[in-house]
Amino acid sequence: MAAEPQGNPWALRFTTLTIVLIPVAVGINYVGKLIAAGLKLPLWLDSIGTVLAGMLAGPWVGALSGAVNNIIFGLTADPISFWYLITSIAIGLVVGYLAFTGWISSFGRVVVLGLIVAGVAAVVSTPINVILWEGQTGNVWGDALYTALVGRGWPIWLASFLDEAVVDLPDKLATVIVSYLIFKALPERLVGLFSGSRSEVESL
Amino acid sequence: MAVIEVENLRYRYPRQERLALDGITFTVEPGEFIGVIGPNLAGKSTLCQALVGLVPHFYKGAIGGQVRVAGLDVHRSTVAEVSRRAGLVFQNPFTQISGAKLTVYEEVAFGLEHAGVPREEMRRRIDEALRLLGLEAVKDQSPFALSGGQMQRLAIASVLAMEPEVLILDEPTSQLDPAGTEEVFEAVTALCRRGMAVVMAEHKVDRLAEHADRILVLHQGRQIAYGPPRQVFARENVAALGVAVPAVTQAAKALGWVLEDGTYPVTLAEAVAVGQARRGGR
Amino acid sequence: MRLSLYVPGDTWVHRLDPMTKLLMTVVGIGLTFLLPSLQGGTLLLVLLLAVLGSAGVLHRAAAVYVGVAIVAGTFLVVQGLVYPGNAVPALTLGPIVFYREGLLVGLRLALRLYNILSATLILVLVTHPSDLVEAVVRRGASPRLGYVIMAVLQVIPTMMATASTIMDAQRSRGLETEGSLWVRLKAFVPVMGPLVTGSLIATEERALALEVRGFSGEGRPTFLKEEVIPPYATAARLVTVAALAAGIAGRWLLGW
Repeated sequence: MAAEPQGNPWALRFTTLTIVLIPVAVGINYVGKLIAAGLKLPLWLDSIGTVLAGMLAGPWVGALSGAVNNIIFGLTADPISFWYLITSIAIGLVVGYLAFTGWISSFGRVVVLGLIVAGVAAVVSTPINVILWEGQTGNVWGDALYTALVGRGWPIWLASFLDEAVVDLPDKLATVIVSYLIFKALPERLVGLFSGSRSEVESL
Repeated sequence: MAVIEVENLRYRYPRQERLALDGITFTVEPGEFIGVIGPNLAGKSTLCQALVGLVPHFYKGAIGGQVRVAGLDVHRSTVAEVSRRAGLVFQNPFTQISGAKLTVYEEVAFGLEHAGVPREEMRRRIDEALRLLGLEAVKDQSPFALSGGQMQRLAIASVLAMEPEVLILDEPTSQLDPAGTEEVFEAVTALCRRGMAVVMAEHKVDRLAEHADRILVLHQGRQIAYGPPRQVFARENVAALGVAVPAVTQAAKALGWVLEDGTYPVTLAEAVAVGQARRGGR
Repeated sequence: MRLSLYVPGDTWVHRLDPMTKLLMTVVGIGLTFLLPSLQGGTLLLVLLLAVLGSAGVLHRAAAVYVGVAIVAGTFLVVQGLVYPGNAVPALTLGPIVFYREGLLVGLRLALRLYNILSATLILVLVTHPSDLVEAVVRRGASPRLGYVIMAVLQVIPTMMATASTIMDAQRSRGLETEGSLWVRLKAFVPVMGPLVTGSLIATEERALALEVRGFSGEGRPTFLKEEVIPPYATAARLVTVAALAAGIAGRWLLGW
């Protein structure tokens, strides 16, 4: 039987095991970003750890991994990433909830999950972009589209959303698929340990 | 008064059919050194973890029987409660470092901070633990800069600073070179002499035979034997089940060097004594 | 390899306790949004640079400033070109026209970017991460959250170093890390997979080791280190709050 998370998706799984998972998840995010840059991929791939934390331990742990990721990234590399904390939290929540409700049971569903995550990331990031930077993202390709659209008189909100979506769609889809491939390769025992960490002890 | 009492302990991991531990019963007195041996998957690690409550509290699953350690009913206590009376040291020195502290000194403080020990008391305990394990010279270094043997001694020091009555070690030397192994055995026997009860799961039976007061033999989750090394290693069923026996004992058996009580020597010193007696007798 | 950007030192800013510096950062970010005008933003930037300068970390801050210069430049270009309120042409380069209104908006956005950065750098460059985490835990934050932050700072350099080693090993084994986009995409999983799987499996042992050291206990922790708050910290906090009050007053009473 393939490993699949079980139990109530919203159950709090803050045990020592899931707390130890959070720094590892953030480390995986960093490593993904490093390797993607090393292979000169046109993707960030910097939320694989957040997605895996959601798949293993549910929405709350996924959300906290995302939050810690952006706090640490803000403290160590790019202070602006603090503001996109909300986006990271949303990714963790969505993946955690959908993983525990059967959305990583087949490859087809995983692709849908990737599209949902991309959509959520773009929707949550757009207001932040509008508030901070009049809707720009600072990404060259996205901002080129933004410039073209605003130049044709499109509303800033819509142009900003599309600016973000152009960047997020391939990136989040690839992130979710890669995470899923890694998740499938984990020992079933480990997956059970994470999802069952709040279950009761029986007596013999 | 026994400091560890295990009675008819049975345990099954979640999503498993087979019992990982089945009918384990033994007691340990303060100052005793108990060696736990057995082939792979015999249940040595599971037993070690059951003595500090990780089984069943961390792994869940199903448990039966009773485990009392330093007066605590382990099945009804939290792992944090048990951690102040019984310490556990694991195989891998690297994963035991908390990963949250910058120096050896601070690393030993980690458990004490979480236990809410006052600062002065904390410093006293850390100094003593570092002294007992011979780590004073490296106390300001990063834990990650230590050698394997030093790191394992740091793990023991960290557990020791909690001032437990019982020290449990799960194959603490399996990833160490001979020098590191020697460091760990010396530290542990010194603690025994100070009245600490020690339970050590270990593959290196020759070393255990030399230091342990009693040996507990496990096989597929069942207890095969429990007693002094010479009696345990003399038993035919122990060797027959694929449990490692000290090289000295194997040689003595092959040579027919039997001791007066019908057991075989388990240490080099005993074998030499028997050999000399036989030569003298001729 | 060190992850933190912290620059060791012994200036008055270094000796300030972490909570005071946290307050300065929060107020700095708050003022960035309170004072959206060019004059207000410039004044704030001068103040923040003065703090960073007296802490002796301007050289490190400059490296960060250069790093985001492209983003700031993008603001100027894009807003100058397409800001909806554009009316007065300011600069014409062939067919491209930059407008005055848009350029001013872009300049304000760039100023905002640098103000947020500078405020954050007071915390990032001049406060040791473990001191900050401990200060927050002392005031009631969860010790587990404190562990998470400290562990992240240690785990990331270790994992990054391992990742580089694996990249080199895979390359020498003939894995193509150059070549077409598809080839490089396919190379991602074999490089990433073993490291991720290994570190996830190791979480079990690490969790066990923390458990037996009383990590999951309920009581409040104690601290090995004593917290030192310099006498002038109160004054620094008062000045910071006064700056915030001045910003609020300026915004609504004087219309800065």
